[in-house]
Amino acid sequence: METKENVLLNIKDLHVWYRVYGGYLKVLNGVHLMVREGERVGLVGETGCGKTTTMKSILQILPPGDFHIPQGQIFYKGQDVLKMSFGELQRLRSREIAMIFQDPTAALNPVFTIGAQIGDVIKYSIALEEKKVHKEKIKTLSARALKEAYLPDPERMLVNYPLQLSGGMRQRVCIAMSISSKRNLLIADEPGTSLDVTIQDQILRLLKEIVEKKGTSIILITHSLGVAREMTDRIYVMYAGTIVETAPAKTLFKNPLHPYTKGLFASVPKISGGGIAKGIPGRIPDYLNPPSGCRFHPRCEHASQICMEKPPQLFEIEKDHSVACYLAQR
Amino acid sequence: MNQATNNEILKIENLKKYFRIGKDKRGPIFVRAVDGVNLNIKFGETLGLVGESGSGKSTIAYTVVGMYRPTSGQILFKDKKIGMEAAKRPLSLKREIQIVFQDPGSSLNPRQTIEQILTLPLRLHTQTPKRQLREKMVELLEKMELSPDYLYKSPPSIGGGEKQMVAIARALAPNPSLIVLDEPTSALDVSVQAKIINKLMDLQKELNLTYLFITHDLSLMRNIAKRIAIMYLGKLCELADAVTFFEKPLHPYTQMLISSVPAISEEEENLKPKKVVSIGEIPSPVNIPSGCSFHLRCPYKMPICSEVDPEMIEVFSGHIVRCHLFSKPENE
Amino acid sequence: MKNSNQFNNAIAISLAKPKSIFWTNLGRNWFKFSRNALSILGLVIVLGIIISAILAPWVTPYPEHAGPFVDFDNAGQPPSLGHLFGTDNFGRDVLTRIIFSFRGALIMAIVVLALAVPPGVLLGLIAGYFQGTWIDTVIMRITDIFLAVPPLILALAIASVLEPNLMNAMIAVTVMWWPWYTRLVYGMASSVKNEYFVIAAELTGASKFHIIFREILPNCLSPVFTKMALDVGWVILIGASLSFVGLGEQPPTPALGQMVSDGARYMPTFWWMTVFPALAIVLTILGFNLTGDGIRDMLETRMG
Repeated sequence: METKENVLLNIKDLHVWYRVYGGYLKVLNGVHLMVREGERVGLVGETGCGKTTTMKSILQILPPGDFHIPQGQIFYKGQDVLKMSFGELQRLRSREIAMIFQDPTAALNPVFTIGAQIGDVIKYSIALEEKKVHKEKIKTLSARALKEAYLPDPERMLVNYPLQLSGGMRQRVCIAMSISSKRNLLIADEPGTSLDVTIQDQILRLLKEIVEKKGTSIILITHSLGVAREMTDRIYVMYAGTIVETAPAKTLFKNPLHPYTKGLFASVPKISGGGIAKGIPGRIPDYLNPPSGCRFHPRCEHASQICMEKPPQLFEIEKDHSVACYLAQR
Repeated sequence: MNQATNNEILKIENLKKYFRIGKDKRGPIFVRAVDGVNLNIKFGETLGLVGESGSGKSTIAYTVVGMYRPTSGQILFKDKKIGMEAAKRPLSLKREIQIVFQDPGSSLNPRQTIEQILTLPLRLHTQTPKRQLREKMVELLEKMELSPDYLYKSPPSIGGGEKQMVAIARALAPNPSLIVLDEPTSALDVSVQAKIINKLMDLQKELNLTYLFITHDLSLMRNIAKRIAIMYLGKLCELADAVTFFEKPLHPYTQMLISSVPAISEEEENLKPKKVVSIGEIPSPVNIPSGCSFHLRCPYKMPICSEVDPEMIEVFSGHIVRCHLFSKPENE
Repeated sequence: MKNSNQFNNAIAISLAKPKSIFWTNLGRNWFKFSRNALSILGLVIVLGIIISAILAPWVTPYPEHAGPFVDFDNAGQPPSLGHLFGTDNFGRDVLTRIIFSFRGALIMAIVVLALAVPPGVLLGLIAGYFQGTWIDTVIMRITDIFLAVPPLILALAIASVLEPNLMNAMIAVTVMWWPWYTRLVYGMASSVKNEYFVIAAELTGASKFHIIFREILPNCLSPVFTKMALDVGWVILIGASLSFVGLGEQPPTPALGQMVSDGARYMPTFWWMTVFPALAIVLTILGFNLTGDGIRDMLETRMG
């Protein structure tokens, strides 16, 4: 199934629990996710399904103390992130993987200039190898990064403050920060969601161009199926902390198999009109006492006895297309 | 557009709303949030109002509901002038026009129970005796498919979709005629949105409601609105019925918007107009470009566009556009 | 239309819920409070002070030493098994007097807060709701005037004009305490006023009374409660400062500041007469501060 040679990131059976009053919120319940070199992977899921928790686990930026990882592994270039030393994690965060957060206003510090913030990113990514970095070099690299993100007048932008920029420009600055040095993997968490639709379109096209030009892999988190279809090669559909289906983008949209995926597709309003389907009955589960077996079974009209007993595992139906569902596996 | 006035519930005539934000040596500076809008809504229809930030769509909604007083122009509700702030409106008017806000997290008081939230409109606008209040509330909740124990919950403990259902129940409690919905599902997931939209459509049929529905999501609009109006920087660009809007969009901004919608399948992709690439940033409403406010981003710009603001022209019956591409060549 | 029996059943069932919600909320709040061990420590200290103050006549070794009592033969005894904190210059047991002085301190804190907080909160609410109008200006400028005077000096000025006793000390401290609450609530009220749920209530026709007290006030209370918990310690400190200079509780009734002041001239030989009351003051403030932090964690965070 996976060609071992060019696998960049491989999350295996990740479980993440969050300590609260009354016990643990069992947020992630066996997440499998794989990204190859140069691949564009989409992670689609609704609020509360655990997408951001998964991404934060990769970079180990979950809030300390309250999180517990009872089982699972996250392999990056063959090494388990969960067992990495602090130094190795630093290297991971400053040279290998970059994350672009959802809200660009919150991701930028309002009291520092753009130049200072990009400069910091560059400084820490180079500093691991070169002891002292010249200010001029940092400035040049910063301006170059801004230019690659199509920000007008990069030299002058360096002395601007984030609040002087529009939302779209702030998001471009965040993207510029993530490409300011060579990275192997970008994680983009719902880019452009908080922006206007025409601006979001520009941001997504920028990301597409960057990924094509530099050969970087990207994990694109989104709740919009349309965005996933336009921007990714392979998609993972996530529900309540599990991956329920994964397929190449074309295949998924032609032939969705999991009832949740099908329900999602039906819920999306179509340009062709015809009204919207009724949505998916029920609500997302209580992670404190999640449903036994398949976490989707309380909302699934096809649920049978085995669905309530044993959680289904991802099973390959056709090439690269796997589903975690007993119905589809028959 | 000669319509009999008695089938229009709301008439907005040349509405302007400017906000004063300071002054410079030339005089006071205004944000021209709404700059001369004409709009009618018929009884029982859903009028969709689409636009991006700075378009003025929310300002129109808030002015209709009474949060703002118009700078000029008038609003007629059932043929009565209502262009004043809510504090000055009669109670019966406050009952008839209700609003559902975008963010359910801040439109419901987090320190109240749902029972308390629903008591307010019931107490003010209906003559329900105290003993029957709970029953009435359970009825409302049932309509929204929420179980009676929701009465004792408070907003932070329920999900976004359910909060919005409560907000809708609150809007329905006083038996209104017109409900303004300001991006009611923009903050929600698509499956939750589907549930709520279906519920809204059912309620509209059952209770004979009129909706002024504001959103930026065009494909959503296609499925719920009878007619759609697009706004850009305070002015209407185009107004047409939903089907025509998508089949024959005339205004370049409309085409740009529709072509930016991420399509979910090949068929959907083919229904979109030819791609109009979005260029540039959306100007701030403080600094509205001269002439046609869209000219800086328009791929079909002509010399006249930076000088003269076009008039609204009825190109086909019921389909009006504001664009020099369609202006009649007289009067130049 | 539903069968009315089914309706009544549904309502009856749901009416039974509120009690269990109360216990769940309590449990959740305790969880948040107890995350930090220091908060628990604070709570232990606070409970210890309160319980020993209430039960003073029964838990202290020499309850009669808290009143008019002299025993010059036993004066100035260092700490021993019979007198854990030693005796003072009148031969009275220091430990007993400290515990009895907690009574006055706690009464002062309760009375001051009970008198100062409601008016302070009310003024802040009104000023916040009418922000931008003359009401706001008048209230907040008066508040500013009170806040501009150094608190201790204000309290001293007032207390020295009036006859020195516990009641007047409480009045003095109350007068300088309310403005802090006005300012706190003013900030919260003026921002809550612009929230959509307040606007929704206004649009539907709610009265100003409803808006101020049912919509805005409940959203301003969390920081008020936190501040009250922390303030108990500070009121006790100011009270001790007043009794240090002879204002406030009069002898022979013991007061912490008074004990520190009386013992000061016997330093350093008879150190226990000053040091133990001073440590008691420190312990009290520490206890209420830690508890206040815990209450803040409980009320102002989202967890679970």
